[in-house]
Parts: sequence; structure tokens; C-alpha cells
Amino acid sequence: MDRRHFFKALGGTALLASPHLKPLLMDLYAFSDESNLSQVEAWYYKKLPDREIECELCPRFCRLGDKERGYCGVRENREGTYYTLVYGKACAIHIDPIEKKPLFHFLPQSNALSLATAGCNVNCKFCQNWEISQVRPEQVRHYDLLPRQIADLAQENHCPVIAYTYTEPVVFFEYMFDTAVETRKKSIRNVVITGGHINPKPLHDLTPVVEAIKIDLKAFSEPFYADYVRGELKPVLEAIKIVHQSQTWLEIVYLVIPSLNDSPEEIKSMCRWLMKEVGPEVPLHFSRFYPMYLVKNLPPTPISTLERARRIALEEGIHYVYIGNVPGHEAENTYCPQCQKMIIQRTGYQIENVKIQKGRCQFCDHPIPGIWT
Amino acid sequence: MSRVVVVKAKDILSQTGEAKQRRLESLYRTGLQTLIQGGNLKECCLSIFDRKDRVGIKINTIGGRKLSTLPDVSLCLANLISEAGLSQENIIVWDRTNRELNQAGYRLNLNHKGIKVFGTDANGVDYERDLISYLNIGSLFSQIQSRYTSSSVSLAILKDHGLAGITASMKNYFGAIHNPNKYHDTNCNPFVAELFDTDLIKKKHRLSVIDALIVQYHRGPSYHSKWADEYEALIFSLDPVAADAVGWKIIEDLRSRNGLISLKEENREPAYLQTAEKMGLGKARLEEIQIIEKAV
Repeated sequence: MDRRHFFKALGGTALLASPHLKPLLMDLYAFSDESNLSQVEAWYYKKLPDREIECELCPRFCRLGDKERGYCGVRENREGTYYTLVYGKACAIHIDPIEKKPLFHFLPQSNALSLATAGCNVNCKFCQNWEISQVRPEQVRHYDLLPRQIADLAQENHCPVIAYTYTEPVVFFEYMFDTAVETRKKSIRNVVITGGHINPKPLHDLTPVVEAIKIDLKAFSEPFYADYVRGELKPVLEAIKIVHQSQTWLEIVYLVIPSLNDSPEEIKSMCRWLMKEVGPEVPLHFSRFYPMYLVKNLPPTPISTLERARRIALEEGIHYVYIGNVPGHEAENTYCPQCQKMIIQRTGYQIENVKIQKGRCQFCDHPIPGIWT
Repeated sequence: MSRVVVVKAKDILSQTGEAKQRRLESLYRTGLQTLIQGGNLKECCLSIFDRKDRVGIKINTIGGRKLSTLPDVSLCLANLISEAGLSQENIIVWDRTNRELNQAGYRLNLNHKGIKVFGTDANGVDYERDLISYLNIGSLFSQIQSRYTSSSVSLAILKDHGLAGITASMKNYFGAIHNPNKYHDTNCNPFVAELFDTDLIKKKHRLSVIDALIVQYHRGPSYHSKWADEYEALIFSLDPVAADAVGWKIIEDLRSRNGLISLKEENREPAYLQTAEKMGLGKARLEEIQIIEKAV
């Protein structure tokens, strides 16, 4: 099977693996090729002399001549006008529990219609979805789905949430934004799963139309971001502050990779920064790493390392600290920071028990931050 | 010392921008014979390629009709190689996509007979599924480079490049992988050199020919007539780094002649050439390059 057929099969499986998606969607199948890319003018760029442009969407500020694409691979300068090639071109679409994102303080047990286009504005050496994030849109199969159709699809499949995820939603900003606006008309909520590598202006514009943003903080050191992410830490920290200052719910994930970003000192510095900038109420998830993509020489994260990171975060004062990718671990549950009782019991993505009423602990009435209804 | 041959052919381009066939053949003949210094053209070709080789001629067609490897130029080379004794069916002129080839004026040929012309996205062709991970490179290679060919020629256009400084024979191989957009940071350094150093490129690369018939010496890689010079030359070398170093010198000379500051002053000198030299891929310093200039 060649790569194209492999992806075709992969996409098909992914679609079928979502049992609630109606067979109708199969009619929307369209194999990707260059002639089937979108040509919608991009937002956030400036025109320069001699048909050059400068993209202002993310901190890379790609400066491109005619016919060139940005680092993300999905935005192209054509004769001095910058276009997104992936508007309405979803390369992955599934129904996932919201806990998979993970968002633990946001409508527990709700289904999220989750979608992505090809492309990413960084290149993490440990990417789990590199087959769709590190390719150009013509190299993967996609579905032609406009914002209105996504709203209909979510409604038909009883999904109260749309999640922009799997790759990097920043690179399909226009598509995400329009979809969020469209789906809000049907009272569907929108969540963004991102690396936070975005400029302040587009992020400020985005927060009013989405209800939650989960940011992957991949390390707390610039050298790590330079070497393993091909990005910068500083703009991500700025993004965390902007989301926190907005009305949008924020959660943070830190993928703990053995020997690369797992030192107690780095974890402590990161937690102190979080305490100072966003306070104790923003949930923090320490996720377990598994060898992937270009980092296959390292072992999965020892559970004791994750537990140590969690202990450090709790000692630093963060209230809601979780361990992810370790199904059945007690740190998947939510505990009330006041009475210490378990208020949400989870097993993997399954919710066993919720003891929160009107945003408060049922045992001691302590307010639990999040979006619960 | 590495040898680089620069052959100029005055008025080789017609008024419609096509290369005159006879003069082109003469240009190739002079270039290859001066480079190899080993007898007639056939002997020169057979010192570079084996008769059983499947030769990929990787061209550069991203610049559209005005700034791509001309069909006349690549097909002339393909014909000369076949006349030396290699089967036409075993010669592929290729680039990333059929669309770009068409836009540059190529007629696709996927048939069994004749010199083949197609892109990595042609039916039945694709990128490999297995990732090649090497130093800072993590890419899927075109099957044309990995499977269809046993030896390769880089036949690139000489252009100024806003990020890389210049693009010539080494950077041309960015078109052999699925994710070139990931390798434009830090003036494409060390990525150009490291990509070339992968087995699939380094062990197959036989010859660099740089198409300098028209040189975009500023505001590249796209075409701007204001800064495009009819240089009317081809550059030949067995050393890809030396070939590109000479290409860089030509661009700097044109820039200087036209009152532009150097690439270094613009903070975009092609530092990947020095990296390539350090990696042992060839010579980047002009004092270590024997430049032979000819005219036909």
C-alpha cells in the first residue's frame, strides 16, 4: 500500500471509528490534490513591495516571496496576496470525549466533534500526529466541510462542543474562527487545543468566540523550544497570560519527556511562574510521553517522574494537578482543594462520578473553577 | 581543489525565451568535456553514469515559466546522456508536482517509452511512508529519489533566495522531500547541507548543473524582471558545494554591478555552504575551487 492509499485508509478508518457520525458524511469524501485546496485570503498579514508578504499570525513572521509557503505549509503567497489553502478542508474528524483533549473542568462527559486540517507552525520532534501535522494539505486526504456543515454535523450527532485539535488550529485560524461563530448560533461551544504559538492580536480576537483553550506548554526552557519544538517559549507564555485574562477557560498540559524537560528544577520554575501569572485555579496536566516521530530513543515517562512533578506542583500551591496518559491513576480524579474529597472520579476518558453542583463541591460547598453546565 | 566549469553562450536565448538547441548541445559538450577532461562526450557521460543507471534529473519548476529549468535545457541533457548509451526509458526529468512541471512548460510523459517527465504526485508515485531521520532532518522522500533512480543530477536554477541567500544545486533537493517548509529557519542552515548528506541524496548524486541562463540576483526566489539578468551560462561540477559557491559568487557580482549590497550585508549569506564543507560534502571557499570559464 503506498502512502496515499495508506492515508486514505487511515482517514476512512478514523471516520468509521466515530460510530455516531452519519454515513452521509461519506459522500463528502474527496481525495486531496493540489487543485482541491482552498484559496481564501488569509487574515493577519501585510503586503510588502515586490509581491512579498509578511505573515503576522504567529511569532515566526514568515516573510515570503511569490509562490512561497509559510513554515506551516498551508498558507501561500500568490502574486502578493496571502491565502489559506485549508479553509473548509478537514483532514481528521472524530467524536471524542472532552476528557481526551484533555479538558477536565469543562462540561465533563460531553462529546466533542473534533477536527483538524493539515499543517503546524512548529515541528515538535515528539509529535503524536505528525502524519497530518507535518505535511502539506495536498499530501493528505481531506473532507470538504464548511463551517455551516460542521455546525449541522455537530447538532445531528449530539455534540455540544466543537474541538479544534490534533494538529495546530492556529494555522487554520480563519476556518476555526468562522466555524466557531457559525456553531455558536446553535449554542454549540468551541474549544481549542493548541501549542499557543500565536501572536497576541489574533489570540485576542479569538478568545471571545471560543469557550475554552488548552495550551500545551512543552517545556519551561528556550533551548528546549529551539531544539525540540522549533519554536519559542516566550510567545507561549504570553498566550497563556492572554487567555487567562480573557473570559475563556484555560487548562495547561505539560508533556513530561525523560531527561529532556523532567528536572524538578524546571518543573518548579514552571509552577512558580504559573502561580504568579495565572494563579492556583488553572488546571495543570502532566502527561506521559511515549516514543514518537523523531524521538524514539527515549523510554516512556516513568510514572514516578509524573508523580514527582505533580507533588512539586501541589507543593507550589496549584490546586488541580492531573496525571495524563496513565489510565486508572488516582491523579486522573479531581479533588476538592478544601476538603480533599474526590469530586470527579475518572477512569481513562470515562467519568464514574461527579460530586459538583452548581460549580461547588457537594461535600464542603467550595467553589470549583470551570465550566460545568 | 574542486573543479567548476562555467560555460557562457552569448545569445543562446531566443526572443521568446527558449534556448537554441544547437548552441545548448555545444554548451553541454564543452561543459562536460572540460569538467571531466576525459575524451569525447560519450566517454565523459559514461565516467559519470553507469550504462545501467536509472538517472533522475531533478529540476526546479517552482518559479513558473519565467524562472524554472527550461524544458530545452533538461531534455537536452537527458538526450545527451541517452546518446552516450543509457536507455531513454531509464531517464526521468522530475520535480515535486505535475502542476508545476506543466506550468513551467513541460509535457508530462509517464509512458514506458522515451524520457520520462513527471512529479512526485503523479499517479502511482508518492512520498515514502517511512520517515528518514538524520541530524536535524526528519522527512519523507520522494519515491522518485528513493526507488525510481539509482543516480541523480541536480539541474537547478540559480536564484537569490530571501531566506537561504541563494538557491542552486544543493537546495534543489528540498524538492525531493515532503516538508521543505520546515527547513527555512536560520537561512536554511544546516538543513540544506544535512539533507544533502542523507544517503538517499549523497550516495546517488553524480553531477551538479546549474542553469544560469537567467539569474535572479535579487528578491528571489520568485521572478522579478527588474533583477533578472540574462547571464546565458551553465555551471558544471562534480562537487555540489563548489558549484553553489561559484553560483553565489555570480550572484554577488551581479548584485554589486547593479548597486545592491551583498548577501552578507543583508544577513542572509548562504552559510549552509560552509556547513556543507565542514561536513565533507565539498569545497565552499573559492581559493580551493578551480574555476574554468569557457565560451561557445
